Amino acid sequence: MLVKMFKATVQRVSTSALKISQNRKSENFHSVLIMIPHGRCCLSTSSCLYGKILPRKKPRVVHEIAGLEPITYADRMHFVPGLAKPKFPPWERGWKEPNHYQSPKLEDMPLYKDKPCYIFNQRTNVLEGVRQALWLSKSVLIKGFPDQILTLAEDPANQIENQDERVQNAIKSSRLWDTTEHRPPRERFCPSLLNGLLHLCGGLQVTHPELAKRILAEKYSLAATWRRGEDVFQVRGQNGWLLNSMTPLPVLAGQEQIQSTADQALETFYPIAPTIDLQNTHVYQEKNDTGFREDYPYPHAHTLFLMEMGNAPKLLPEQLRAKMVMFTFGNALARAQALYGKEPSVLEKPIVVQSVATNGRLFQFVVFQLNTTDLQSDSGVKNLVWVDEDQPLYEFAKVKPLIKKKVVQVPAGLSGYQPDTFKKFLALYLHGAV
Amino acid sequence: MSVGLLSCALRALSLGSSQIAGFPVASGVCAAVTGSRGFMTSACDLQNRSLWKQRDKYTVRPIGVKKTGGRDYTGRIITQRIGGGHKQRYRMIDFQRLRYEAGKEQQPIEEKVMEVRYDPCRSADIALVAGGSRKRWIIATEHMEAGDVIRTSGAIGRMAVLAREGDSHPLGALPVGTLVNNLELFPGKGAQYIRAAGTCGVLLRKVNGTAIVQLPSKHQIQVLETCMVTVGRVSNVEHNKRVIGKAGRNRWLGIRPSSGLWQRKGGWAGRKIRPLPPMKSFINLPSAAARS
Repeated sequence: MLVKMFKATVQRVSTSALKISQNRKSENFHSVLIMIPHGRCCLSTSSCLYGKILPRKKPRVVHEIAGLEPITYADRMHFVPGLAKPKFPPWERGWKEPNHYQSPKLEDMPLYKDKPCYIFNQRTNVLEGVRQALWLSKSVLIKGFPDQILTLAEDPANQIENQDERVQNAIKSSRLWDTTEHRPPRERFCPSLLNGLLHLCGGLQVTHPELAKRILAEKYSLAATWRRGEDVFQVRGQNGWLLNSMTPLPVLAGQEQIQSTADQALETFYPIAPTIDLQNTHVYQEKNDTGFREDYPYPHAHTLFLMEMGNAPKLLPEQLRAKMVMFTFGNALARAQALYGKEPSVLEKPIVVQSVATNGRLFQFVVFQLNTTDLQSDSGVKNLVWVDEDQPLYEFAKVKPLIKKKVVQVPAGLSGYQPDTFKKFLALYLHGAV
Repeated sequence: MSVGLLSCALRALSLGSSQIAGFPVASGVCAAVTGSRGFMTSACDLQNRSLWKQRDKYTVRPIGVKKTGGRDYTGRIITQRIGGGHKQRYRMIDFQRLRYEAGKEQQPIEEKVMEVRYDPCRSADIALVAGGSRKRWIIATEHMEAGDVIRTSGAIGRMAVLAREGDSHPLGALPVGTLVNNLELFPGKGAQYIRAAGTCGVLLRKVNGTAIVQLPSKHQIQVLETCMVTVGRVSNVEHNKRVIGKAGRNRWLGIRPSSGLWQRKGGWAGRKIRPLPPMKSFINLPSAAARS
């Protein structure tokens, strides 16, 4: 008995000593206490006196037996060793304190609905790209720039004097002259490039007074709701810069082209559902809001400028085009519902919205014509989308030239400038005012 | 005896009930998703050590991994030769192929392979598949390419299905002799066997309600025929033929050098030639914890 107690005390002493030092068996079998600063070292022996770690005991699991109420120390108002810990109901403050606010569960929120809604917001990155956007907006794709708008830019009366030189200056000022570092971050040169180009285009107001009836809005929030099949879809969020104008854009496609779209079938992509990657939520409000008040003097959306600046999320060109298509569709739909009401119908005067997206070098152009708000079924008149993909404005804008093996691959400064891209940009700007 | 049991139960009730649900207060209950949640660590340690693998909701986005260096909660090296190496991000792999989407139960699942890529956490390649409204990562099979359409079906018909590579069926639906991988031991638990690069098992025979599979180690096991399995060999077949080339490459993989101490090897070392162990049978129903 005494021997047992002694052995037990020896064990306890050695395990407590372990925390500061380790015992190491030397060749003479004398245990040598070595003070090691970190308090651990690799041991190969597994004797319990020399550092064996017992596995932690799991805490005792207390089962609730139905019908039996545990006797707690709640009445005694202090801990009593034999009785159970009382469970009190959660305390409620009674008034709303913003610093300690716990939101209710999703099912208890006032806007909770049983039917889920699929929302396309500014962070959505759709898997199938433009095909998915076309299905969601019930549209037909036409590749290439619409010719009517392109002829606007070819007209010499509509061009800026020294156009190429001034555009190149604008690119250089945003890419090269903005900072003393080698390259400014994309979040900086992308908006400054767009600002420069818009400033150039705005200089044409002298010869075209109609261009003055426009305004650029920076942070506007869009909301548009529609039903497709049995699902509810929404487009929401702040997406970019919107150029509004007093007069609506003229219709691009004639009635014959619109009616011929009724024969074309929408492209599906089985086995992927069209709702993939959209935010699926049960708490939503079916809102249709253009982002501006009703008495706004510039009620018609003209062009949407989207900037892809990289990180949240990083969009590939295909996904960027899908985002463009969805947001132009959302703008057009919101304005159609503001003008003609919420009843889904085929529009007599189709609404046209344009869009330009850029990542600082590559430009994507989209023109969307909303022909119908009857999006419930897959058949019938469809909307039209013209998409012009991947137009580079310039190839390289480097501060230091790229030299490989003493041969200049890419010269310093701006190189590979394409004048056509700016012509298209200008054409989209002038459309509706010339 | 009944009095003794009742007193045990009452004692259990009286001494501190606190079953605070979920997060991250020390709970000894092992979850089936990650076996490491059974540890009871101190409050400050819980915040950091295993938090990266406590995520419940499935996501396709890669998760940053905290390396342990072979050390456990006490700080000692438990497994040697682990440490360092390139940073890795963990992609949550869905080993349960037959996972239905909400509202589409009992229908065969068709999915399209979007991308097949390298996974730093395992020897096999992984594939991003999309079907319906969800995307998930699965272990890729040998000839899987982007654009393929793969099927997962839980039905066992009277006739055996023509097995296509990459498809997943229960063992009872496949013809005898097919090469299979990602084998489940218990139906619904998720694949646990035959997941390494280039491995495949062979379906040997089907015996009333059970199937016998030969694993890559030539061991044979008997599982229920409703266990899901994928057809074909696992991807990255050339994995065992690679040459590390230098010590540095092992260090990049996170393998530290072995101890240089020469030790006389005993009876445990050397090649052993002995008969296969008897076939292991997994057809008893598992406990409720393993089924979840």
